[in-house]
Amino acid sequence: MVASAKEQSKMRNKLVLALGAASLLIAAAPVWAHHAFAAEFDAQKPVKLKGTVVKVEFINPHSWIHMDVKDADGKVTRWMVEGGSPNALFRRGVNKDALPQGTEISVDGYQAKDGSNRANGRDITFADGKKLFVGGSNPDEQPNAK
Amino acid sequence: MRGKAVALAIVILAGSLAAQSKSVQGKYVPPRTPDGQPDLEGVWTNVTITPLERPANLAGKEFFTPAEARQYEKDTVERNNADRRDGGAQADLSRAYNDAWYDRGTKVVETLRTSLVIDPPDGKIPRKGDRPAGPPPGFGRPPEGPEDRSLPERCILWPTAGPPMMPSFYNNNYQIVQGPGYVVILVEMIHDARIIPVDTQNAPRPHVDPKIREWLGDSRGHWEGNTLVVETTNFNDKTRFQRASQNMHLVERFTRTAPDTITYEFTVDDPSAFSRPWTAQIPMQRTEGPIIEYACNEGNYAMEGMLAGARADEKKAAGR
Repeated sequence: MVASAKEQSKMRNKLVLALGAASLLIAAAPVWAHHAFAAEFDAQKPVKLKGTVVKVEFINPHSWIHMDVKDADGKVTRWMVEGGSPNALFRRGVNKDALPQGTEISVDGYQAKDGSNRANGRDITFADGKKLFVGGSNPDEQPNAK
Repeated sequence: MRGKAVALAIVILAGSLAAQSKSVQGKYVPPRTPDGQPDLEGVWTNVTITPLERPANLAGKEFFTPAEARQYEKDTVERNNADRRDGGAQADLSRAYNDAWYDRGTKVVETLRTSLVIDPPDGKIPRKGDRPAGPPPGFGRPPEGPEDRSLPERCILWPTAGPPMMPSFYNNNYQIVQGPGYVVILVEMIHDARIIPVDTQNAPRPHVDPKIREWLGDSRGHWEGNTLVVETTNFNDKTRFQRASQNMHLVERFTRTAPDTITYEFTVDDPSAFSRPWTAQIPMQRTEGPIIEYACNEGNYAMEGMLAGARADEKKAAGR
């Protein structure tokens, strides 16, 4: 592939801009050893989704919840919502049965940068307002050790 | 001259190792496997919130008092809690998902040490110059393909999965299996099974040729009393544990110090990265099995998402 001088200059500009954007991203991200949620989702695109569970993929490295979201006109859109590694949940006794098909949930998260219908499941709550999973934030309770 | 320096380094290393093994051996006599090895078998977790290095505000303080430990636990759990929603959108996004998915632990180590690093006594890794502890160079640049993303994101190796093995934010579980002549360590985070040939101290199987470099390095084990000593060399130049080079020399020591505890210590030596060898100690507690499969590539939709994200960023930056 041979690029013209104009194209080359355009590509260079694009690269400079992209690098600039990346350095901003690094500066803003408080942790680095992460599965790069900031690379995948857009902090400028918060979403609140309300819908029903279609299926749950309890897979590594990250689980995915597929859900149908109905808008005001009744139009249904399928979304994929990313969660964490399922292993920690299994150890807490949470499995696929926790989220059967048809369960109503609300998801609070951020949409994929490319605009596709994917989001991270920042917070997932049931219709009655209870959080989907209860975290292990009590220091007196270390679920993993015997 | 160089020979002398190397000899001195070996003496220092051997001296500090001898001191450590004495400190952890204790009185406990572990059971034996059918072929007579001290029994390390089982599923173990190294989960803890004790930091690898001593934080600046604890300088000079090697141990917490019990009350300080409880306070530290409370503060750390609060800080780590992914259910909090403060700090703005970027911080919120970086916390990824709610706390249920994490398993970072809630306790400091039983010894109440303020750092996992026990030598040097200041609890700091003796890095040479200004080598930062952070991400490898290039991390975070817009990826052209999977090769531009980090090793864990590519399902290759988790930076704390080892060797040496350190706690991370979930899946801190390890299964040790022993057989005649071998010990195998299965690591839950990502997938690796490290197969360690174990011989008598005086007649170890030699390491592979220095030209052969491996993701997990090349491990050789022997028993010193009830302690399994594993020496690992032949790392590749991509894992770079704590910014060490591929010439990192690692010695790990596994000592069963109680029915449900293995005291795990590792000593890292790499003169190109550290001004002296350093040692960390991490207790491993027996935990419920089994180790759960981590079939990482099969479900790595996030890779597609990150590459799509990079293309979207480029389009946005180019004004299209």
